Amino acid sequence: MNEERLLELVPLAALGALDGEERAAFEAQLASSPPAQRELSAYQELVGRLGLATAPLPPSVALRDLLLRETRPAAPGRAWLAPALAAGLVAALAGLAFFRSERDAALREAAAERAAAQEARETAQKAQAEAAALREILAGEVAFRELVSHPETRVISLAGLAAAPEARARVVWHAGRGEAVLVASGLAPAPAGKAYELWIIAKAAPVPAGVFQVDAQGRVVFRLPTGLELAGVKTFAVTVEPEGGTPAPTGPMVLAGSVS
Amino acid sequence: MASPEAASLIRRLTRGDHRALGEFYDLYAGLVNGLALRILRDRAEAEDTVQEVFVQVWQQAARFDPSRGTPEAWLCTMARTRALDRLRKRSSRREEPEKSDPGSSEAPRTEEAIAVRKALDSLPGDQRTALELAYYEGLTQTEIAERLREPLGTIKTRIRTAMIRLRGVLGPSS
Repeated sequence: MNEERLLELVPLAALGALDGEERAAFEAQLASSPPAQRELSAYQELVGRLGLATAPLPPSVALRDLLLRETRPAAPGRAWLAPALAAGLVAALAGLAFFRSERDAALREAAAERAAAQEARETAQKAQAEAAALREILAGEVAFRELVSHPETRVISLAGLAAAPEARARVVWHAGRGEAVLVASGLAPAPAGKAYELWIIAKAAPVPAGVFQVDAQGRVVFRLPTGLELAGVKTFAVTVEPEGGTPAPTGPMVLAGSVS
Repeated sequence: MASPEAASLIRRLTRGDHRALGEFYDLYAGLVNGLALRILRDRAEAEDTVQEVFVQVWQQAARFDPSRGTPEAWLCTMARTRALDRLRKRSSRREEPEKSDPGSSEAPRTEEAIAVRKALDSLPGDQRTALELAYYEGLTQTEIAERLREPLGTIKTRIRTAMIRLRGVLGPSS
């Protein structure tokens, strides 16, 4: 195929109307003919313009949105990542917030329970202490009544001395059972760090017989420790001593009474 | 004769400006759809073609070469190529092509479109018929000769003559 023949085929080739061997020959020789290439470009451009002869007709309105949705940029890396992360973060934060509120509620509840338990414990302890005190008082009174009602029981009165002129007291004791109770009144509460200490004086040196405090009204029912040697007792005396007690009297004597 | 607007839109498309695609579409969707519908004679298939063409515009705006024609010519070439591909795929239905031209009575919009329409209308009927069978139906010279029951050489001459005439009337586009 010479070039003249090749150029003759260009308009048909531009339309895509060539076929068969002619088309194959044209395509094979086109590369070696710059004039044919230029002509082909010009005719292809003309073919493109032929479409303008067709009356325009707008496609359906929905097509525009479809196109723009389909081509919407997948956006920079961060943009697709961010919503995912944000969604995850929101979920995580929501979860965390929920967890926190749950946890806080649980903590508050636990704290309230602990407080209530503590209060209950304190109440119980107080009640126990009160009950113990009451039991002690009752025991003291029962013991005292029992002691008083016993035929062999003896009673001695103690008088207030110069340091406590208002004080009065009695000691009820049963020598055989080694039991004794001091009932006192009119005693001022012991100074801070001090307490009253009871002494039993038999033959020689005073024997310590217990340390006690008085109530706000200056009264006390004090049950002496058991196992004391009361058989040869001559005198009961009370002194003011350090609150831990001392083996021998050191402070001023406030009450004293002698067995007649 | 490429409009400054089209040139600016293509530059924006090349930079990946998605909003430019919407504007470009607004400008040319009718042209592409009209041509695709003329070739396919099926509204749904024409719109599928429109979609494909503008997706291609979005993806290949950088390939547009202004020295090789206007954006309109570029779009028409893409639309025709894709529409003809579809037409070939349904070859069984290509047996009885309608000869009516739904767009022929409607007025084209632009000066260039009017010139192209006038140039086509000025062609002798037998030349125009052969040319349109090639252009709108994608038939080859042999198929056209068979369709029109004319010798192949006659058809080749008619088409070549028509093309040379159009080129002479319309000249280079820019």
